[in-house]
Amino acid sequence: MSNSALSVFLSRLDFAWITTFHIIYPPLTIGLAMLLFFAEWRWVATKDDRWYHVVRFFSRLFIVNFAAGVATGITMEMAFGILYGPFSQAAGPFFGQVLGYETITAFMYEAGFIGLMIFGWGKISKGMHLFATFNVALSSSLSAMWILDANSWMQTPTGVALKNGVFEVTDWVAAIFNPDVWLGFPHMLIACVELALCFVIAVSAWFVLTRKHVDLFQRPLQYAVLALVIIAPLQVYLGDGLGLIVAQDQPAALAAMEGHYHTYNPDGSVDTSWKVVGWPNAKGDDFAWSISVPHVLSLLETHTWNGKVPGLDTIPPENRPPVVVPFYAFRIMAAAGGALMLFAFWGAFLILRGRFALGRIVQNRLFLWAAILCGFLPYISIWCGWWVREVGRQPWVVYGMMRTEQGVSHMDVTSALLWLLGYMYFEIIVWGSTWFFFAKVMRSGPDLDSPVVHGGHQHLGELEPRPGRHEAPSYVRPI
Amino acid sequence: MDGLNHIQHIVTFAWWIALDFSVLLYILLDGADLGAGVFSLFVRSHHERGAIMSAMAGTWDANETWLIVAGGVLFGTFPFVYGSAFNYLMVPLALALWGMITRALALEFRHLAETPWQRFSDICFGFSSLAVAFFGGMAVGAVLHGYPLTNTPGVVPTYIGGSWRFITPFSIWTGIAAVIAVTLAGVLFIRARFEHGEPIREQAARWTKTIFWLALVAVAITVAISASIFPWASKKWFGHNFWIWGIVLLAVIFTAYKMRVASHADRDFTAILWFNAAVAIMAGAMMWTVYPWLVPNTWTIYTGASPAVSLFTFTLAMGGFFPVMLMYNAYQIWVFRARVSALAAYH
Repeated sequence: MSNSALSVFLSRLDFAWITTFHIIYPPLTIGLAMLLFFAEWRWVATKDDRWYHVVRFFSRLFIVNFAAGVATGITMEMAFGILYGPFSQAAGPFFGQVLGYETITAFMYEAGFIGLMIFGWGKISKGMHLFATFNVALSSSLSAMWILDANSWMQTPTGVALKNGVFEVTDWVAAIFNPDVWLGFPHMLIACVELALCFVIAVSAWFVLTRKHVDLFQRPLQYAVLALVIIAPLQVYLGDGLGLIVAQDQPAALAAMEGHYHTYNPDGSVDTSWKVVGWPNAKGDDFAWSISVPHVLSLLETHTWNGKVPGLDTIPPENRPPVVVPFYAFRIMAAAGGALMLFAFWGAFLILRGRFALGRIVQNRLFLWAAILCGFLPYISIWCGWWVREVGRQPWVVYGMMRTEQGVSHMDVTSALLWLLGYMYFEIIVWGSTWFFFAKVMRSGPDLDSPVVHGGHQHLGELEPRPGRHEAPSYVRPI
Repeated sequence: MDGLNHIQHIVTFAWWIALDFSVLLYILLDGADLGAGVFSLFVRSHHERGAIMSAMAGTWDANETWLIVAGGVLFGTFPFVYGSAFNYLMVPLALALWGMITRALALEFRHLAETPWQRFSDICFGFSSLAVAFFGGMAVGAVLHGYPLTNTPGVVPTYIGGSWRFITPFSIWTGIAAVIAVTLAGVLFIRARFEHGEPIREQAARWTKTIFWLALVAVAITVAISASIFPWASKKWFGHNFWIWGIVLLAVIFTAYKMRVASHADRDFTAILWFNAAVAIMAGAMMWTVYPWLVPNTWTIYTGASPAVSLFTFTLAMGGFFPVMLMYNAYQIWVFRARVSALAAYH
């Protein structure tokens, strides 16, 4: 590898690392904020304090996750310019504008209400607090919309023309509503909801399994499983639709995802077989070995029995993406999604048969262990899905228009390596401490001793108190 | 790169004001949080250090987000500057960002940790605040030097000059000056956020007296160096309109004096407002000194602007989103205005 090829590879790794260690937090923030809003709304509507305790408990996990998301997220916005300066300059008129709108309409919007949601208990009214939670849920979803819009445009760059090295926007509507975003955004948003549901399922199942506060956590467990019965199949459906769009607009990415090297079999017939597993040969122009099922590929990608799917051999060699990462990441993502769907059906079956009642669910240890395992699967799915998207787009940074090596900053190997090592160090600490404090908050359990906080009762103070007048200190940390 | 029409020139100018406004709000709001962090290194009491963090718990995230907003405006409106300046500033930005990561963890996880880890977390909080201020200041100084660009026809000029070019005596000095400035903001913040009679408030008062003079000296040194090494600065300051700059200087001295008077009289919030006024005047003066450059001798605001700037998106952002953003931020600060005591760390 030449020096410049190595630094291009390193700057891809640099960006891949910071994205991989950022994308595990915001989806939980987005999904959990919606679920917290639901639970808080139930509390305000029914005055059932069990909802309140559920909200306060999950809020503590929420803020741990949120802090990690902020810590790793600020880097993301700067990193485009730092690591991909020429790309940022060229794509700025569209891509930068979209990210700019994200900060103004979503990131700041979220930051403006998160403090009230977490630390506002006792300072603002019940209704205002519910409103703050609603705004956090809405703003974080908006944030996902803008980010996915920008990323989708990199997959299917419509509405722009390359002039003097700059992507000039010729049609804003076509660029914003590019073909990929129609399913790319819903797929991500539903992934956020699915992750949050599985998170709630796993945490609640742990309490039920260890027989702590079973009366409190049986209900979120049951509600989340019921929601997953709808969400998990919906996600599979959306993923299938997105696959069709990729097949249409990014045939190279699809061929890599499916390990589909040759359009035709040696005998001249269309290769319709779907590879379950396999490994590329030394030359990288075919699988050395694979296990395949005939007709499944055509069924999946064209929804016909014998439909032709263009293989990698239709793509010039210099434009072919790597195969192993998209191929396996795609399979793992799909398998995890399928497993979650089966789990949801299992839970629904138990609910229908009345085996979810307080006394009975605690005895079903197998189901509860499966539920805990389910908390981890969406994380793996989200990682794999993003890797499919990003590696599958290679060697392009803007698909078909700008190659990755044209987009990277002029960086020497030393500084690219410095960045990678620095971020490996800091973000592994973020990751480790996030999970450490998740575990710690779970072990300490919900706080049932402190009185339920009903609306703003605290004195908020005066900006310039008259000298000599004594204020009563009042400050409440989130329990 | 300047293919803008007349309307776009005006819109670009307005976006530039919005960019400066966001940066200024970041410096004013997060500067105080950073300064309180630097100050916390010298606070002996464990509970007082915890209370400093509690005092900013509800607002630090939004304060820091102004930097993200500034970055977003820069990326959206001045992408040619964004893509080259950040490449140039890779190392100081990475160091400042690692500081921000550390601060975020220290702020949010301290109250969950065991006591020995809280001590560790306090040290991390103090030093990371120091690092963010220092490397942030260094980045500003480095930008004032300008940087070399490629010159390939048909391609946007992009940064070329390596990762270490940002280190100069001037940029090291601006880093130090930034630490002094945020520390002043920090002690004023501590004064306003703690109950009367709290020992930490007295300590902050003693600091204010010293740092106030240090900050004035730092400003004077920065102006003197700039005048001697940057022709674009001395040309403006000592040109035809030198009397305007004299008025600006008087205004800065006046606001600084008012800040000191208010601080002495225990009118803490008023003192912060006067301090903010002084910083705003100086920031405005600096922007006007650099104008029309965004990065001296490298990009003007017009050559750095996106060809896609339009009146429509600007009106949408400034008429719609910015005012709303300011409203809910102000509301949040208003809700969390109550003074705290060292007791806050117990919760």
